[in-house]
Amino acid sequence: MSIPVEPIVSFEGLVVSYGLVRALDGVTGAFRPGATGLLGPNGAGKSTFLKTLLGFLDPDAGRIAAFGLDPTRDPLEVRRRVGYMPESDCHLPGMTAASFVAFAAELSGLPRAEAISRAHEVLYYVGLEEARYRTVDTYSTGMKQRVKLAQALVHDPALLLLDEPTNGLDPAGREEMLALIRDVATRRDISLILCSHLLHDVEEVCGEVVVFNQGRVARSGPLAELTGPRRSVFEVRVKGDPTAFLTDLRDAGGEWHDGEDGHRVSLPEGQGPELIFRTALLCGVQVRSLRPSAQSLEDVFLDALGHPPPAA
Amino acid sequence: MPVYEQTYRHYEAREALRQTRFWPITREALRLVLSRRAFVVLLMGAWLPFAGFSIYLYVLTQTQLGPMAQVLPVGGPLYLRFYAWQMPIAFVLTTFAASGLVANDRRTGALVVYLSRPLTRRDYVVGKLAVPLLLTLFVTAVPALLLYLVGLALVPSLLLTRAHAWLAPSVAVQGLLVSVTISLVALAVSALSKSARAAGLAFFGLLMMLDVVQGVLQEIYDKPYFALLSPQANLRLLGEAMLGGPAPALPWYLPALVLAATGAACLLVLRRQVRAVEIVT
Repeated sequence: MSIPVEPIVSFEGLVVSYGLVRALDGVTGAFRPGATGLLGPNGAGKSTFLKTLLGFLDPDAGRIAAFGLDPTRDPLEVRRRVGYMPESDCHLPGMTAASFVAFAAELSGLPRAEAISRAHEVLYYVGLEEARYRTVDTYSTGMKQRVKLAQALVHDPALLLLDEPTNGLDPAGREEMLALIRDVATRRDISLILCSHLLHDVEEVCGEVVVFNQGRVARSGPLAELTGPRRSVFEVRVKGDPTAFLTDLRDAGGEWHDGEDGHRVSLPEGQGPELIFRTALLCGVQVRSLRPSAQSLEDVFLDALGHPPPAA
Repeated sequence: MPVYEQTYRHYEAREALRQTRFWPITREALRLVLSRRAFVVLLMGAWLPFAGFSIYLYVLTQTQLGPMAQVLPVGGPLYLRFYAWQMPIAFVLTTFAASGLVANDRRTGALVVYLSRPLTRRDYVVGKLAVPLLLTLFVTAVPALLLYLVGLALVPSLLLTRAHAWLAPSVAVQGLLVSVTISLVALAVSALSKSARAAGLAFFGLLMMLDVVQGVLQEIYDKPYFALLSPQANLRLLGEAMLGGPAPALPWYLPALVLAATGAACLLVLRRQVRAVEIVT
């Protein structure tokens, strides 16, 4: 019997507005310990959610709790347990990485000596040991991203909020950053919420995903459940006029979408590929290619946004 | 180094949040300001008037120079004159020290670094405000009180009388008023910009312009109320009321009210501008 895991963040009927614009429109859900991806297009409410979680914004209605604490009432206690890596650049001009990260640790309540010691350890951990005495102003984009991660980690938070952590990185830098984040989540026992519009990043790191769209939770759950083989989906390529074939499949309860090279067919519950062959035979078309397909995170994402998934 | 070889140590020794959690902000900002050699030279130069006034006090009390004593005797007006010297110096110092305090944080996105920590916006403002406050106190109240001690050492029989009992507290209060007003205005102006240079020019220009405007209007219309337009003139009026300057042109509570309103306006600006989220509606 599995023991139910308490969520670290829960929210219910959460409404947050900027004037007349509702950025979060009554969202309900929870983040469990581990790595969770927070997905959504621009303006979906992802950053607003993180800012509400940090106590920067007050909800108009509903409630939000992190570690059982209300960020609107106990913002300082919540922020003690949370590390935040913002999307935009953030550094103090004229400061070296070592002094900047030590300063961030002190601001989180660590004594000065401990702050300095941890700053060096964390800069070593994120791979900036050689450059830690250089001013952050002189850093490349990749190094600045690492410093941002270091300042978020330095006080050893229980939850890390990462807002677009791979922004501006080249492919090699992106893979290194993702490896680091994966290490934080899997080996360092720190939960994280990875806010990104890059599905690859989320697939690489996260076990669960929450998709926001237009201020609402469109989909959520374990990645494996959302993207695993659902009711039978096949990539089908036929020879002959497919119109009658596709119409009959739809009449039989299936769904299909056009692809670049054929059609993506979802069969109704309980049906197997024999339905495709039978329908093809009845409609006089020849099946030239048939292969099973699993939903990708991109499909889940597009499905949540109300767009048909493209063919694989 | 590959990630799997890198280490990470958990931190367990968490203490209760301290009331003085603003102090690292002040300390780091002071360290950055004082790392500029030109600024330190300026800060030391700000003590030259103190040296001059100390020499004047010595000459006045230890030599029999009657005419000098009639021009500026030992007492409130002497300290008022000292503040008249120190105020412009404090403006210049604050322009250099405070103009980037919030503006730079807004430009580089560092506000989020502060406010995503267990710090309130008040902690941030107090931490930043303490920087110009300490620096201006160092060139106003501190040398003025030392000058009082110099006077006390030279003519104790004069300054330890009941008639001069108010002098030391008045000197301290005037220094505090000057420092708090300048610091608040400078920080509020800094919070309105993302450029330290623009904030510095705006702060210095604003104070100079208001002083010139009130001077010109007073000259033209000969009405004392125009003095209320300028923070410096208000500070001078309050100083005169406390330290016994010329017959007051306005009752003391009017400049006090204007300065209180200025302070409140600055706090409102800071409350509005110091946010982790810029809300555009």
